[in-house]
Amino acid sequence: MSSLFGEINRRDFLKYSAITAAALGLSQTDVVTKLGEAMAAPRSGKAPVIWLEGQDCAGCTVSFAGTLNPPAAAIILDTISLRYHETIMAAAGHVSEKVLHETVKSGGYVLVVEGSIPTVDGRFCMVADRPFKEILLECAANAAAIIAVGACASYGGIPAAGPTGAKGVRDIIKNKPVINLSTCPVHPDHLVATIVYFLVTNKVPPLDKDGRPLMFYRELIHDTCRRRAYFEEGLLLQDWNDPEQKNWCLIDKGCKGPDTYSDCAVRRWNDGLNFCIDCGAGCRGCAQPTFYKGMSPLYSDKTGLAADLKEKAKRRKIKRKLVGKEVK
Amino acid sequence: MPKKITIDPVTRIEGHLKIDIEIENGKVVNAWSSGTMARGMEILLRGKDPRDASYVTSRICGVCYSVHQLCSVYALDDAYGAQIPTGGSLLRNLVMGAQYIYDHMLHFYHLTALDYLDIMAIAEYKGNDKDLLAVKDKIIHLVKTNDTYPLTPRYEPDEFCVKDSDMVISAVKHYIDALSMQAKARNMGAIFGGRQPHYQSIVVGGFTQLPDINQVLQFRNMLDEQKKFVDEVYFSDVMAFGTGPLMPLAKIGLGGGHYNYLSYGALPIKPPKKHLLFPAGVIKNLDPTNIVVEPFDQNKITESVKYAWYKNSNPLHPSKGETKYDLDKEEAYSFVKAPRYDGMPMEVGPLARMLVAKNPTLLELVKQGVKPGAVARHACRAIETKLVVNACYQWCDQLLEEMTKPGFKIHDNEHWETPDSGQGAGFYEPPRGALGHWIEIKNKKIKNYQAIVPSTWNASPRCEKGVRGQYEESLIGIPVPDPDNPINVVRVIRSFDPCLACAIHLIDPQTNEIKKFIVE
Repeated sequence: MSSLFGEINRRDFLKYSAITAAALGLSQTDVVTKLGEAMAAPRSGKAPVIWLEGQDCAGCTVSFAGTLNPPAAAIILDTISLRYHETIMAAAGHVSEKVLHETVKSGGYVLVVEGSIPTVDGRFCMVADRPFKEILLECAANAAAIIAVGACASYGGIPAAGPTGAKGVRDIIKNKPVINLSTCPVHPDHLVATIVYFLVTNKVPPLDKDGRPLMFYRELIHDTCRRRAYFEEGLLLQDWNDPEQKNWCLIDKGCKGPDTYSDCAVRRWNDGLNFCIDCGAGCRGCAQPTFYKGMSPLYSDKTGLAADLKEKAKRRKIKRKLVGKEVK
Repeated sequence: MPKKITIDPVTRIEGHLKIDIEIENGKVVNAWSSGTMARGMEILLRGKDPRDASYVTSRICGVCYSVHQLCSVYALDDAYGAQIPTGGSLLRNLVMGAQYIYDHMLHFYHLTALDYLDIMAIAEYKGNDKDLLAVKDKIIHLVKTNDTYPLTPRYEPDEFCVKDSDMVISAVKHYIDALSMQAKARNMGAIFGGRQPHYQSIVVGGFTQLPDINQVLQFRNMLDEQKKFVDEVYFSDVMAFGTGPLMPLAKIGLGGGHYNYLSYGALPIKPPKKHLLFPAGVIKNLDPTNIVVEPFDQNKITESVKYAWYKNSNPLHPSKGETKYDLDKEEAYSFVKAPRYDGMPMEVGPLARMLVAKNPTLLELVKQGVKPGAVARHACRAIETKLVVNACYQWCDQLLEEMTKPGFKIHDNEHWETPDSGQGAGFYEPPRGALGHWIEIKNKKIKNYQAIVPSTWNASPRCEKGVRGQYEESLIGIPVPDPDNPINVVRVIRSFDPCLACAIHLIDPQTNEIKKFIVE
């Protein structure tokens, strides 16, 4: 088969999966055999996936559809059998609801949930005339695995600060493990690798206390930040226009890196192109269960850390000796 | 007796939408558009640091993420008294340019094209193009393994569906190619925006990332690839379909609606000069042979809540909006309010923008018999994508010139700290149409926040005078010969590129009145 789906074909996808799996500590033979078997099985053998959207913005869907290596088309058409996804599926109305019911009935699917669940009143999120919570409970019952994508589905996210009693999936589904991929939006790499991990092992990956896979959420962003040296020196960015300050620590602009667990600082975003701290904005703590309310105000330091650092830096009278200066 | 049918959910849109219609003699005679999800974004902003608003409102929508962020910072700039340096304006234009390219392309191929194609015609392809044969093999493989999700099931193709195997197979090939192209277009935005979806570097006063020359070159290089795709694939597909097999739909003006159009205007071509790529203006009761554009006056905007789940009040200007939930209101059927301009429902979006601009390509199509409606909306998206691509080149060049000048600035550092009090309004023209944000600051905190988004205009329910919203009106009279297969209804609705998560906004629960409506 020619490389129809962008730069990747089935063999490339297996290779990619094998690399991912190697990173996960699995043997390549396992992966290629199991995934290969799964993908070559009769009746397509692709893993059925139901993707539900509750109180969402579709940002996680868009994030997932932005993956280039492997391209989204290869995943959607070659790897998974995407039975239900409101933003992508051809069907609408009663035609789409019929597929949902049939898939739920046959069971064994991966359930991906995007968006929070209103608990004050079911009418704050209705799909096909049913409260979203009811749909979620029904779909969770027969799911082989449940993945909450984004901050809203993981812990309630931004809507949790609002009036609808928005909750994460784990607050509704208590009898099954829920894998939380909690950044806002979900990092596409996190989702693709979690799906591959599950397809290969048929297991939930090791999780931290907040239900996040350790393979992505083990370390503090602050500990892997390339601006860390400036933090230690107390050099904190004050003016975005100043080229000398361009790479300084963003604590004084409210960076939440010291409170946030994720591999964003090493993985970066959008195929390694950039990410929140590199673009000078700073981390907003979107991967944490306390996001958004607990992280507000987003753009100022409420811990007093910045003031302490500036004070210390002043006392130590740090002079940067190894910095290039313009010769006139 | 008319037969009532419900389409819920309307898929391949952003957000949760339900459409009820009544059909008599194979035609729609009445329609109701209902937004069925609410989060209370404006409510949760109350009492917060005003600078949080741009970050939080970005999450109103994950498809058009940058647009709320930008509109919000325009409202904040206004309230803070910030002056945006030219560098900041150019960077904002460039990230919005990337948004336009991705958004329109994604809408055409991934959200709407399947309504116009009989995919199974691919099996009839007789040509020997290697790439197209690969598509044929792929689809046949999916069919043989009995797993064609998510391309099926679907509404059954009707007489307007394109069945020519050569056209269908190349469109499906482009559907697949465009999945990568839209992702790459978004990555252009991330070069300056920090990451996508949900940019990071747009803040009150300007921008946070001092760009370097290589980033501009990288953007420009990626733009070359987009330009090629937009010109040779996207634009030509839309025109080939619109003036070819879809010409009958274009000529009957399927989904025309009220023929009132509104554009707030946006994207300065050469900042700090004010001249806009998309001009502002209002058209009432369009006469395509003599387009009369009135100047836009924001004081003429009001919002009615008579048929929405909010406590009744008189129609108010959004800056004064005071509304409370009422989920038990008898006559209400939507979380979307009913904005009106001069008391009239308006269509916003690409068709409105291109009509207000009197775009020559659109006027040429009109001459050929294309009437305002679903097909014209798709055409206008393609037309303006080309305009945006070309403008991005100019902005890149101007940015390179600016950044090599001494004292180059991207941010107004003098106005970063929050004022004790203030008011601001921001107006913008994102891909889906006219967007407005309003903010009021008191004691350095947000006292009130309001947004009227494009889909609020288009998806609005009836107003206090009982006049239908634009979606509703545009469905009247369209043919639905088979009530179990209302494909024309979703064609019309999707032609607006609905964004329902955007359309719904809740205000003022000061009294915590919501508790009254607990049903669980």
